[in-house]
Amino acid sequence: MQDDPVLNRPLLQVRSLRKTFPVQGGRRLVAVDGVDLEIKAGETLALVGESGSGKSTVARCIVRLVEPTGGDVVIGGDSILGLQPSRLAGVYRRIQMVFQDPNASLNPRMSVRQVLEEPLSLHLYLLRSERAARVKELIEMVGLTPAHLDRYPHELSGGQRQRVGIARAIAVSPEIVILDEPTSSLDVSIRGQILDLLLELQERLNLAYLFITHDLQVVQHVADRVAVMYLGGIVETGPTGDLFADPKHPYTKALLSAAPVARWGVKRTRTRLSGEISSAIDPPDACRLAGRCPLVRPSCSASRPPLIDIGDGRAVACPVVIERISTC
Amino acid sequence: MSDALLEIEDYSGGFVGETGELAPVLHGVSYRLKTGVMTAVVGESGSGKSLVALSVLGIQPPAFERTGGRMLFRGVDLFGLDERAMRRVRGAEISMVFQDARAALNPVFTVGRQLADVWQLQHGGGRRAAMRQAIEALGRVSIPEPERRARQYPHEFSGGMAQRAMIAMASLICRPSLLILDEPTTGLDVTIQSDIMELIVELSHTRGLTTCLITHDLGVVAETCQEVVVMNAGRVVETGSAEAIFTRPADGYTQRLLSASQLVEAA
Repeated sequence: MQDDPVLNRPLLQVRSLRKTFPVQGGRRLVAVDGVDLEIKAGETLALVGESGSGKSTVARCIVRLVEPTGGDVVIGGDSILGLQPSRLAGVYRRIQMVFQDPNASLNPRMSVRQVLEEPLSLHLYLLRSERAARVKELIEMVGLTPAHLDRYPHELSGGQRQRVGIARAIAVSPEIVILDEPTSSLDVSIRGQILDLLLELQERLNLAYLFITHDLQVVQHVADRVAVMYLGGIVETGPTGDLFADPKHPYTKALLSAAPVARWGVKRTRTRLSGEISSAIDPPDACRLAGRCPLVRPSCSASRPPLIDIGDGRAVACPVVIERISTC
Repeated sequence: MSDALLEIEDYSGGFVGETGELAPVLHGVSYRLKTGVMTAVVGESGSGKSLVALSVLGIQPPAFERTGGRMLFRGVDLFGLDERAMRRVRGAEISMVFQDARAALNPVFTVGRQLADVWQLQHGGGRRAAMRQAIEALGRVSIPEPERRARQYPHEFSGGMAQRAMIAMASLICRPSLLILDEPTTGLDVTIQSDIMELIVELSHTRGLTTCLITHDLGVVAETCQEVVVMNAGRVVETGSAEAIFTRPADGYTQRLLSASQLVEAA
């Protein structure tokens, strides 16, 4: 069973994904620059990075909310980038998305019932009675009651709205849900409740999550594996526990050590980067961190380092780090 | 009582609705900011923490109506001052840093000009001397190439740079005794956030500032503040030293807020 190629095949594969946007003066902003990802059934992969790292653009490219410039996205063996828009509906039955701001992603003129019925009528052929039963089941799955079905988004709290956004995403029984900062606009007390709901639904429905966030506490709480993005590229991936316990890439070290801890008497040892994030407009073929990196050497400016497997499910895009590991 | 620079006593009020009725939102808020100490006011959205801070400067929203309370700054009730007297307090005595620095800066003037104008307003002197002060202040908050940066407009600054410039204006140009920071790092990335907080702590220490940090992020509080005020739904639910609040929170809401902020077990 373990070696069965079909069973072990990842549910979602992103290969060499690239997205550029034209900017003034004929220049190009490189938002995503050769990203590779894999997610297996029932697994949570966290994609972390700071603003401008391209993590949300990756999510939007996967579901073709923006058209990728290059690369491929494969879901269950089918490439979706070549599909005609009319064929995309079949893809959206398998992959759904939850957005950061439930105020913006729910139509204010649609009741909760209408919000939940829409994907059902688009994707599934159900009798009216079946649809009503499914809507009722969904609202209860996300911890609300049928009484909420006749309300409009403005009559719900932020946390309740995000629950509706989650119910809409799972309505058509997808295999993968992309969560783009689902708790970032919520207060901390609500954040925990939404995360618990997501974990419960994952267990119950065997969902795979691509969890996009900048909140490192959330990552540690929910993710099986982590991919760290910096300026359009992945600099490090690995199992969550290992990566947090022993980050390898200088950017990962800086990111993890910058996050304050809400406990008394915790002393952090910070890995510092100098300066600010460099521009993503027409970047040179060099390590994106070269201008800020404490480990920088001349060869870092010669070409962009690839992500290299270092064993134990981990990979790092830094030749200096890899050299140190291999000489140990 | 003399160790408090600002004492807020029993401050209450609400928003006046379209029908003229008052919806109360602040219920007898009382807390003190001790001289030379960094105090955090923490709470979730809607707790009233920012509204109280805006009231200190007399810039609360027009629809807000005070129904009671005093705000004693060096023993003088700020609510008793007229607009002219209040203007002498703003900037010179109490200054504030807001969450979105790029929105707080005027987009049509260079950053250096805005700092220099505030310097001239507060301290007088010529324009050249004021610009020299502006450039020096930008350099002091670790903005590289301050001469060049001073000639740039706010949109040419990153969020972190703009917040450094605002901190320079509020602390080094205004030279107040009380600095209020309303979610100063909330829109910023985590690596930039830590740098900004280190800057705030360092400036507070070297200038002997009394600092009030309004935030929902208990992580930032644990590392920087000595005193903590916890607010919920327009009330102060607990005050105490940061160590006491983090190690033995007494109020149920404080306990819940703390555990919600600690998703991950202690290492």
